[in-house]
Amino acid sequence: MARRFRRYAKKEPTGTPVERANRTTLSRTLILMILCGVVLFIPLISVLYNLMIVEHDKYEEMAIHNQTRSMVLTADRGVIYDRNMNIMASSSTVETIFLDPNAISKAEEEEEQKRLEGDEDYNPDRSAIYIAKGLSEILDVDMDTIRELAADTKYYYKVVKRKVPEETAQKVRNFINEHELTGLVNLEMDSQRYYPYGSLAGQLMGFVRTDNVGAEGLEAYYDATLTGNAGAIITTKGNQNSEMLYTYEKYYDAADGNSLVLTLDVTVQYYLEKNLEEAMARYDVKNGAFGVVMDVNTGEILGMATLGSYDPNNYQEIYDEELSLQLEQQYQQALLMGKETQAYTDSMAAYNAAIASARLRQWRNRCVSDGYEPGSTFKLITLSAALDSGAVTENNSFVCNGTGHVYANRDQPVDCWKLVGHGTLTTKEALGASCNPSFATMGVLMGDKTFYNYIKNYGFLERTGVDLPGEATGLFFSEADFCGVSQASMISTTFGQTFKITPIQLARAVAAVVNGGYLLEPYIVGEVMDAEGNTVTKNEPTVLRQVISEETSATMREMMEYVVTDGTASKAKVPGYRVGGKTGTSEKMDVFDEFGKLVDDKICSFVGVAPINDPQYVVLVALDTPSKESNAMIGGGAMAAPTVAAIMSDVLPYLGIDPVYTEEDLNLIEYSMPDLIGLTEAEAKIELDKKNLTYRVVGEGATIMDQLPAAGASIPGKSEVVLYFNQSAPTDLVTVPDFLTYNLNNANYLATTNGLYMLITGANKHDPNVTATYQDIPAGTQVPRGTMVTVEFTDYSAGE
Amino acid sequence: MKDAIGSVENTGLPKEGRRRERVILDERGMIDMPFMILTILLVGIGVIMMFSASYASAYIREGSSTFYFARQGGFALAGIGVMLLVSRFNYLNWYRFAMPVLGVTVFFMLLVPIMGVEEGGAKRWLDLGFISFQPSEIAKLAIIMGFARMICESKDKIKTFKGLLPYAGVLGVIILLLVFQRHLSAMVIITAVATAMIFMGGAKLRWFGLIFAVAAVFAFVYLNFMGYAADRVIAWRDPWSDPQDTGFQIIQSLYAIGSGGLMGQGLGRSRQKYLYLPEEHNDYIFPVVCEELGFVGAMLIILLFMMLILRGFWIAIHAKDRFGALLAGGITTLLALQVFLNIGVVTNFLPATGISLPFFSYGGTALLLQLAEMGIVLSVSRQCDNNLLA
Repeated sequence: MARRFRRYAKKEPTGTPVERANRTTLSRTLILMILCGVVLFIPLISVLYNLMIVEHDKYEEMAIHNQTRSMVLTADRGVIYDRNMNIMASSSTVETIFLDPNAISKAEEEEEQKRLEGDEDYNPDRSAIYIAKGLSEILDVDMDTIRELAADTKYYYKVVKRKVPEETAQKVRNFINEHELTGLVNLEMDSQRYYPYGSLAGQLMGFVRTDNVGAEGLEAYYDATLTGNAGAIITTKGNQNSEMLYTYEKYYDAADGNSLVLTLDVTVQYYLEKNLEEAMARYDVKNGAFGVVMDVNTGEILGMATLGSYDPNNYQEIYDEELSLQLEQQYQQALLMGKETQAYTDSMAAYNAAIASARLRQWRNRCVSDGYEPGSTFKLITLSAALDSGAVTENNSFVCNGTGHVYANRDQPVDCWKLVGHGTLTTKEALGASCNPSFATMGVLMGDKTFYNYIKNYGFLERTGVDLPGEATGLFFSEADFCGVSQASMISTTFGQTFKITPIQLARAVAAVVNGGYLLEPYIVGEVMDAEGNTVTKNEPTVLRQVISEETSATMREMMEYVVTDGTASKAKVPGYRVGGKTGTSEKMDVFDEFGKLVDDKICSFVGVAPINDPQYVVLVALDTPSKESNAMIGGGAMAAPTVAAIMSDVLPYLGIDPVYTEEDLNLIEYSMPDLIGLTEAEAKIELDKKNLTYRVVGEGATIMDQLPAAGASIPGKSEVVLYFNQSAPTDLVTVPDFLTYNLNNANYLATTNGLYMLITGANKHDPNVTATYQDIPAGTQVPRGTMVTVEFTDYSAGE
Repeated sequence: MKDAIGSVENTGLPKEGRRRERVILDERGMIDMPFMILTILLVGIGVIMMFSASYASAYIREGSSTFYFARQGGFALAGIGVMLLVSRFNYLNWYRFAMPVLGVTVFFMLLVPIMGVEEGGAKRWLDLGFISFQPSEIAKLAIIMGFARMICESKDKIKTFKGLLPYAGVLGVIILLLVFQRHLSAMVIITAVATAMIFMGGAKLRWFGLIFAVAAVFAFVYLNFMGYAADRVIAWRDPWSDPQDTGFQIIQSLYAIGSGGLMGQGLGRSRQKYLYLPEEHNDYIFPVVCEELGFVGAMLIILLFMMLILRGFWIAIHAKDRFGALLAGGITTLLALQVFLNIGVVTNFLPATGISLPFFSYGGTALLLQLAEMGIVLSVSRQCDNNLLA
C-alpha cells in the first residue's frame, strides 16, 4: 500500500529502474487508451452525425438522383387553332439520337477481351468507329464529329442529332438491334413544332426553340399553357444496368399542354397579308407594312400582320430574299478577308450583328411592339373629344388660310397640307379635308386638360393588355408637358404629330369612337382548351370604360363616312358597303440621314370601319415609307385607303356581311358573264337583268349564237354586252391603252373605243381632279376583245 | 504462477523468456471474455455486412452473390479458431520470435518488388502458391513485436538519443521497403504504431516533437508536391470538382453514408452497393453499413470498436509484464488506427488512402492475421495479474 501511495504521489522517481519503466509504460498506455479509445472517435462521430442526420436529406436526394434512371414521358405541346379550328401550329414526334461514350469504351474493352480469348461472341461492331460510320450514314452527320463525341468517355450522354424524324429514327433503331448496340446508342423522344401556314401570321405565332421553349408571339406568351407537364417514370437502376434487389418505381403522369383557339381567322389574315403585300409591291414600300383587323364590338383580333414576315418553321432563316442574299454576300466577303486577320474578325462580327438584327426585325410584331406616328388618323380622337366635351359642335365653322396659322403659346405657326387653304369649313368638312388648322383650333377650344383626359381615357398612355408579348406603351407627353405653358405639344397632337402610339392602341381607340364609346381590351386567344377538347378558360370581351357618349359616337360615324364619300378617303370606297374612316400621312419624327437631316420618310395609313352604319370591323393599315418611284401620290388616301378597301372587299363578304348595292355602285361591281348561247332574247334579258347588265343585238335569229364577253368572263355591272344571233363574236386581240392621267369619262370612252370594259376603283367621280392612277393590265398588252381592265382613280383635290 | 513464468521484478522482462519459455501451451488463466466476445461480435457483424455489401458485385463479377461471403465466412471461422489457438500460445514466446519474425518480414518485403503480384499499378502482394498476402500487413505486427522486445531489452536506453537510433533504423528499413511498394497507408500506419510503441516504451517526450515535425513536413510535401497524391487531395477538398473521376469514389461514398439517415434503409437494402460505390465490400464497406443500418447502426458498431479498443488497453494495463503490455497496447493501437483511418477516409474527413476496416473488409489473410493479433492480446489477458500496477 505504501508503495502505491508513493507512486500516485509521484514526488520523486522511486523504485528500481524496472519499476519506473513499468510505471512509465503504464501511464503512457493509459494516455494511449484515452487517445485511441475515445479521442480518435470524436471527430468521426461528429462527421457521421453531420452526414447522416444534418445533411441526410441533401445526400439522399443526390443519391436517388444518382441511382435512378428516369424515362421522360413527354407532354405534347398544345395546338394553336384559328377561330374556325384550322390548325396554325402543332407538334409532331421526333427523336434525339445520343451516344453513351462511357458505355462504348467499356464495350470496346469487353470486345477486345473476347477477341484475345478467342470468344466466338466477339463482335467488332461494338466500337466507336463502327458506330460513327453507321450513324453518319443514317443521320448525315460527319463521321469524325461522332468519333469525337464518343471519345469523351467520361460522359454518358452526347447528342449526335436532334429532331430526327420518326422514319430515320426507325433506321437508327434497326442499326442498334442488328449490331447489338443497345445502351451504346440511344434514342429519346422529343417534339418538333410545325406551322402549316408558313409565314402567315408569323409574328403572332412566334416559334419554339430547339429546347422546346416558346419564343416570341403566342408561343412565348402562352408558353406555360401550351407546354403542359412532362411526366416521368423513375426507377432505381444499378450502375451498368445491373438489376437491384430492392427497387422503387414512381410514375408521374404527363399532362399534355392546353390548346389555344384564337379569335384570328386565317382567311382574314390571308387577305390582310395578301393585300398588304400587293400594296407594298405597288407603292414600292421600303420599310414594311402592318395591319390589324379587329371586331369593334368585342375587341377580338381577326387579323394582325407585320410585313416582312418570316417562316416560324425556319425562324433563323432570313425570309426576305433580297436581304438574305445581301447578308450572304456580306458573309462571303468576310470569308475573303482571310482567317485570323483583324479585318476578318471585324467583318464576321459585323455580319453576325447584321444577321441577328435582321432576325429580331423579322420576328417583331410591329402592331403591338412598336410605336409609330399616327398622323391625321388621330384626328378622329381629337374630333370625338372636342364633340364629346361640347367644345365643338357639328355647326362650328373653321377658317383655313393654308399657311401661317398662329396659336397662343406656340411659336411655330401651323400650316395646312393644302397650302392655298380650305377656306371656311364646317366641322364635318374639316375632318373630310383633314385640315390641320381647324383641328388645332378644336384643340384650343376644348383646352389641354380636357384633351389630355380624353387621350388618357382612350388608352393611349397604357398598354392595351392584348395577350401578346412585348407590348409597348408608345411615347406620349406627360400631363405636365402637354398642359404646360407651351401649347406646342397639345397643338401638334391634334393632328397626330410628334408622338408615337402603337397600332393596336389606335385600332381599339377607333373601335371605341364608332361602337358607342366603349373602350375594350383587345384579345387574340378566344379559348383555352385541354387536350380532350374541353374548355379550360374562355376570354370574354372586356369593356374597360366608356370614353365618349353614344351620341358623339353616332356623329363620329356619320363624319367618318363623309371622309370616304366626300373627303380624302374616296379610294376607301367598297362597292356595296358603307365605309367610314380616316386617312393619315405622317412624317417620321426620328429618322435622320447620314448628314443629320430629318429624312422625308412617311408612313401612310388608313383606319377604316365597316359597315359604318352598324360598325363591325375596324381595319388599320400602315405602309412604312412608300417610294415616289411608284408614280403614285404619297399619302394615306392614295395608298392606304385603297389597300383597306381591297381588304374589306375581300373580307366583309367572307365574314357574312352581305353587300347592299346602290344604283351608283352597280358599275363598280365585278360580275361573271352568264352563258347565253342558245337562249332567246327574252330569256337572255332575264339573265342579264339579274346582273344589272344591258345588251345590244347584232344580227337576227331565234336564239343567240354567240356572245361577247364569253361566258365566265368578268364584266363590270351596268355594262353593255353584245349578243350575236347569226354570226360568231369577233375573236381578235385588242391592245390595252394607257389610261393613266385620264379622267373618268375620258377613260371610259377610251375603254369602249378599244373594245374593252373598264372597272372603276377608287374615286368614282367625274372631276378634273380625279384621274386614273393605276391599271391592272399594263398598257400595250394584247388581250381578247371584251376583256375587263380595272382602273383606279385618285382624287387629287382630296390630298393626304 | 510467478514460479512458472519467472520473475519480472528485475528487468520487467521474462528472464525465462530469454532462457527459453517452458510453457508454450498456456491455459493457466482465463482469457478475457469481454475482449473475446466483442471480437467475435464484430467479426460476425462484419461478415454479415460484407455479405450484404458484396451481394451485387459478387454476382456481377463472380457469378454468385455468395461468392465473397462464402470465402470470408470460411476465413472468419478459421480466424476465430486461429485466435483461440494463438490465445493459448504463451505470448512470452513471441519475445523469442520477435526478431526472426521481423527478419522474415523484411525478407518478404524484399521479395515483393522482385516477385510481387501487381495490382492497380503497385506491387504489394506476395503469392506463395498456397497463400497470398501483403507482407506489409505482417510488418505491422512484426514491428510491434520487434519494438516490444527492443524496449524490454534496452531498459532506460530508450530515453537517450542513441537509444532511439535502433528503432529509427528498423523503422527506416521498413519504410524504405514500403516506398518501393508506393504503399502510403502502410507507411502511415507503421510509423504511427512505431511511434506509439516508443511512446509506451518511455522515450523522452521531446522526441515526439521531432517525430511530429518530420510527419508535418512530410504531410506538407505530400499534399503540395507529389503529383500522384495531388488528385486525392483535390478530391478530398472538393470531391465535386471532378465528380466523374477523382471525386467519384468519395462522392459515391458520401451518397451512401448520407442516405442512411437515422435508421438506415434496412439490412440488405443499400442501393449504392449496386456497382455505384467502388470497393464496396472492401475499403468502402462502412458506407454500406451506414446506408443500411443508419446512424444508429453505425454508432453501435463504432461503440463496439471503442469498447474493444478500451478493453485491449485495459488488458495492456493489466498485463503481467511490460512485454505483454507493449504487445497488447501496440496491437490495440494498430486496431484503433485502422478503424480511425478507414472511417475517416470514407467520410472524407481524411484524404483517401487504402486502409481496410478490421473484421469488415473483405480479405481472408488480413482477417486471419487480425484475429491472430486478437489472439495475442487474449493470451496476454490470460496472465493479467496487475503486476504493472504493483
